[in-house]
Amino acid sequence: MLRIMLRHISLLILTLFILSFFSFSLAYLFPGDPLVNLTGIRDSSEQTYALLAQQYAMNDSLFSQYWHYVNNLFSGNWGLSFSSGLPLAEEISRSLAASVELSAYALIISFVIGLPLGFLSGLRHHKFIDYSLLSASVIGYSIPVFWAALIAILLFSVQLGWFPLSGRISLLYDIPYDTGFILIDILLSDVPDKEFAFQDALRHLVLPSVSIAIVTSTIVLRITRRSVVEVMNSEYIQAAYARGLSPRQVFVRHGIKNALIPILPLLVMQFTTLLTNAMIVETIFSWPGIGNGLIQAIYQRDFPAIRAGMLAVSALVLTFTITSDMVIQIFDPARRRPEDATS
Amino acid sequence: MILLDIKNLTLEIESQSGWIKALDKINLVITEGQIHALVGESGSGKSIIVKAIVGAISDRWRITADRMTWRGQDLLKMSVRERRKIIRSDISVIFQNPKSSLDPIVTLGNQLKEVILATNLEKGMFWNRAKQRKKYASELLHRVGIKHHEAYMRSLPHQIPNDICQKFMIAMALASQPKLIIADDPTRGMEITDKSQILKLLTRVNQVRKLSILFVSHDLLAISSMADHMTVLYCGQTVESGRMNQLRRRALHPYTKALLESAPSFRTDLPPKSPLSSLGGTIPTFQHLPIGCRLGPRCPRARRECVKVPEVRRIHEHTYSCHFPLHRDQK
Repeated sequence: MLRIMLRHISLLILTLFILSFFSFSLAYLFPGDPLVNLTGIRDSSEQTYALLAQQYAMNDSLFSQYWHYVNNLFSGNWGLSFSSGLPLAEEISRSLAASVELSAYALIISFVIGLPLGFLSGLRHHKFIDYSLLSASVIGYSIPVFWAALIAILLFSVQLGWFPLSGRISLLYDIPYDTGFILIDILLSDVPDKEFAFQDALRHLVLPSVSIAIVTSTIVLRITRRSVVEVMNSEYIQAAYARGLSPRQVFVRHGIKNALIPILPLLVMQFTTLLTNAMIVETIFSWPGIGNGLIQAIYQRDFPAIRAGMLAVSALVLTFTITSDMVIQIFDPARRRPEDATS
Repeated sequence: MILLDIKNLTLEIESQSGWIKALDKINLVITEGQIHALVGESGSGKSIIVKAIVGAISDRWRITADRMTWRGQDLLKMSVRERRKIIRSDISVIFQNPKSSLDPIVTLGNQLKEVILATNLEKGMFWNRAKQRKKYASELLHRVGIKHHEAYMRSLPHQIPNDICQKFMIAMALASQPKLIIADDPTRGMEITDKSQILKLLTRVNQVRKLSILFVSHDLLAISSMADHMTVLYCGQTVESGRMNQLRRRALHPYTKALLESAPSFRTDLPPKSPLSSLGGTIPTFQHLPIGCRLGPRCPRARRECVKVPEVRRIHEHTYSCHFPLHRDQK
């Protein structure tokens, strides 16, 4: 167990180091003078330029520039956004929290939809219900996310008016920033009409999270179905039947767990695709998340924001992937080594 | 008393070129206290028979039989639930790959406890059940010769050696105190010492508890040391069936003879450095089964009549299906 943890942590540190190096070099790869790109100050006088260069350690060697950059990263000094002039660290952590919240709910929705349907379809393999679920999943998988989101807006917000068009919460409510997750923030805050604010936030959440969840739940469905079919055809399931256990007993005692274990890592990995889809959907629903922020930054050539945003997103994805892999490896009983039964 | 009586069991498997008869009119009778060997090359349908008996059947199989009864009850006519009940209490199966027939993520102890029926426990309140189950399970393990039962019950199938796994399977088979144990090649891929242990164990179980065993294997040496009846199978057809010593002394079917001759330890007259005899050709694939007697193309005695399926003939307990049996024509 210690070895698994050490291996994963060293992998994480190494990859994060490479990532930081890439984001550092981005400043030099953008067109133009790196200093101008980073500060946003054009046509400055020679004096201010020299001052800025000193501030960013531009005159030193590349290595000490990098060192300076990493030091700044760790001390939370990520630079200022051109467009808002606010410190990026705070801005990015806010928008990242919003994105993570959206993707987390979408992930939950897709598990709630995909897992039971996948089990159903796997158990009724080659039957009508299996085929219809499979074709539904193909359709769901092939629909582009942005198109689905637009159609959803057109139908449910414009035509039917069930859900709000965009945003995270109605402007009527002023929720103080605390954890960054709007639902938790509402529950923690002491604003008047808490329930209404909560309901409003939920209503804002429905359309974006569902349109992200469409694709992911079809993936979850297919992965689960495949695994269930495989497990139910395996020898130990046949053996369990031959021992006279009923289909329900066989499925509950031997089927579910065995079907879930190989797919859990795959399912958890869907979080990254989800985050990507979330970034697209955010721009459509003007959700104040990192995807929306990054795209705005790209439009406005807000180089420090692009740099810091990319670093934040990739670091998040990386940390999540490696940690989940580690946790799965630690808890997977099939990989447990012989311990006390080798006599 | 006759336990299992199968007459003309035919099992067809759906394939691209229509229904293929994987089993063609199989006959099998097992009486109480008997060790019955089912012999045949790999691919002759031995394991399919086992699956057909216990009802672990795929949707794409079609089973017909004139008779398939368990102690007089028709297995084919009864509902799935009734059949499962019989199998749970009366028939146990030991599979050929102990490791893949055990759930990889449930501890062996729990898997063993799962097959212990409530009726086999002493009467007691339900809070005593878990304890009784545990006691019963460890008794079973001692009976099959596992000493460190505590450690093994806590482990998972991949953590322990193959023969211990197989002993666990036997313990599981004994757990429900069945009337018949079907052992589907239980010693496959095992070392010779482990193998003899398992075989001894099965023989002892048969003698002590008056338990019938259907022993499916192609290991003639093992079979001849323990079985008293033998059914020879070729390509899904029963070729010959009878008492072990009778078959060994006077095999009537050419295939049985070839099979027995292929094992050098059965031949006392084999001079040193003489070539070992074997039948030419290989067992045909399921897609290219010959018509009539399926041994036809390989049979040294085949004649024109062999394109028709030979009838089952009987001399006392000894049955065979061949148009031109050995020994008979010499008289």
